[in-house]
Amino acid sequence: MLSVKYFGAVAEKTKVQGENLPVSNLSLQELVDELEQKYDLASLSYSIAVNQKLVQDKNSYLLMTNDVVALLPPFAGG
Amino acid sequence: MRYNRQIILPEVGEKGQEKLGHAKVLIIGAGGLGAAILPYLAAAGIGEIGIIDDDSIEISNLQRQVIYKSDAIGKSKALEAKEMALSLNPSIQINAITDTLNAKNAIPLFEYYDIMVDATDNLHTKYLINDACVVTNKPFVYGSIYKFQGQVSVFNYQNGPTYRCLFPDESSNSKNCVDSGVMGISVGIIGMFQANEVLKMVLEIGNVLSGELLIYNMLNNDQQKFDLVKTNTTSISRLDFEKKYNVVENTVLEITANEALEQMENPDVLFLDVRNEEELPKVSLLNSIQIPLSDLEENLDQLDANKTIMVYCQSGIRSKKAVEILKKHPFLKVQSIAGGALKLEEVIAGNAVSI
Repeated sequence: MLSVKYFGAVAEKTKVQGENLPVSNLSLQELVDELEQKYDLASLSYSIAVNQKLVQDKNSYLLMTNDVVALLPPFAGG
Repeated sequence: MRYNRQIILPEVGEKGQEKLGHAKVLIIGAGGLGAAILPYLAAAGIGEIGIIDDDSIEISNLQRQVIYKSDAIGKSKALEAKEMALSLNPSIQINAITDTLNAKNAIPLFEYYDIMVDATDNLHTKYLINDACVVTNKPFVYGSIYKFQGQVSVFNYQNGPTYRCLFPDESSNSKNCVDSGVMGISVGIIGMFQANEVLKMVLEIGNVLSGELLIYNMLNNDQQKFDLVKTNTTSISRLDFEKKYNVVENTVLEITANEALEQMENPDVLFLDVRNEEELPKVSLLNSIQIPLSDLEENLDQLDANKTIMVYCQSGIRSKKAVEILKKHPFLKVQSIAGGALKLEEVIAGNAVSI
């Protein structure tokens, strides 16, 4: 079971702030691809964190049960 | 005594107050974020605060930019902000800059101040601030809002991560408050978080949000912090910066000695010799002046900017440097003579072949 959290414009597309996904044994990139498809996120730009740490290389990151993934788009308002 | 209530804090004391008094902070943007940041930095006694914004006050600003008055609609934000801050604390210095931050003024400004505060409302300027901070080796306090959520972090602080380490993709099109909407309190809270970072940095107390992104949600008071590390270790030189933002032309305009001499009798042309007095051969030209390269910047008033200035030195290298200097100031019609005085002499003596 993975926990995924959404922020900013990403949360608007997903219409939820977070969810639990019954997935396992996939790379971070695979998860991102699934979410992009599911919620039509391709047009958005965001960074990704796992367990409160930013991750740059999504392909080589293998997710484990209870990992918390966060999709962080940049905010621009001021 | 004005600062008594903070001086009695062990973390501040007289020493801390002195640090605040010596600090120079630049707030980029006098909108929602700036309106929260400025008063608290002024109140705390930051010795010199710059505020840069070329906007005028509009009625729709007043639901969140709480330092402005209803009867000041139409007036300059930077100037009104300065007046507010000085009437709150007349003992500090406020520099109001009625301009937009751009690639031309960013580096000179950042060189002057110790800490920059990003109170802007667009991504492009955030990347510009980041790059200029990397060039000048200064930290900046990042803040941004999206509806009821805000982000805060401190970048380029003591060799910490930069904004590009967090958001390397510059192509994003995140919306600002005009498009998405915002409550005054939301942008106010984030601005105060930013002011808090500035004070921690100046006083050297607490934990600065360097290497950490704070995301705060006003609707449920959820606060999250995400760790980030420095990924982008390449430094940017001033030249790289200027090339990237197209500040100066990449190639120095060069013309041949032949072409230059064709203009010998043209009264709109001025020949500038940037060698030292004692260097030979002297080239005899009607409309000419000699200013050694090392003295050039201080003597620009001797040059008529309306003329086309053709610069030469001994062989064509120093003259290119001179052209770069002149273009920055800005002289628009400047050219460097390839081959310098040596080539000119050759051509004049009739021995030259066109290059």
